[in-house]
Amino acid sequence: MADRLVTDIGGTPAGAIPREEREPLFWERQLIATFNVLQQHGVLVIDEIRRTVEEMPKEAYDESTFYGRRVEAVADILIKKGVITAEELEERTREILESGTRDHVR
Amino acid sequence: MFADTVPAFAPGDRVRVVDLGKPGHVRTPFYVREKTGAIEEYCGTFDNPEERGYGRVGLNPIPLYRVRFRQFDLWPDYDGSERDELVLEIYEHWLAAA
Repeated sequence: MADRLVTDIGGTPAGAIPREEREPLFWERQLIATFNVLQQHGVLVIDEIRRTVEEMPKEAYDESTFYGRRVEAVADILIKKGVITAEELEERTREILESGTRDHVR
Repeated sequence: MFADTVPAFAPGDRVRVVDLGKPGHVRTPFYVREKTGAIEEYCGTFDNPEERGYGRVGLNPIPLYRVRFRQFDLWPDYDGSERDELVLEIYEHWLAAA
């Protein structure tokens, strides 16, 4: 029998479900918009993102967030498909870190 | 183009979810495997997400159903109403006549 996917936790013991509402951050909304454009242009589909998230090691999965896992999956797929290179991603990430991130902006 | 796909099940048919033991991207959760329910609705045909997960799009669409389960059949220790149900979308290749 195949192993249970890291996302397939229905019925397993878990703590209380956090119920607090939080407005999405700017980068989170930007991620969804970017994904929509990529999907519309036939670069990738939602199922590839789900599959890539499911392939994350459990520790990395648990430490990340809904949007965090997806932004990593999109980057991973774009690199594997040759749309961007790992070097370009690293370079752009460095630029942003040096100029000050806007991670907190709503 | 694929209009000749004939669904194997009709609303009301009793079905069991088979455990295909298939590794990789699947959309049938563990908790429903080997459980029995009834076809609620035939949804039409869709690209198989088990292929799309690996970038293989545009293959033969496959039949999808909404399947109704009694919560008591899914969770042995369920403490809600006996009439509570859950409807899940499941692709035909995960279903067998029951």
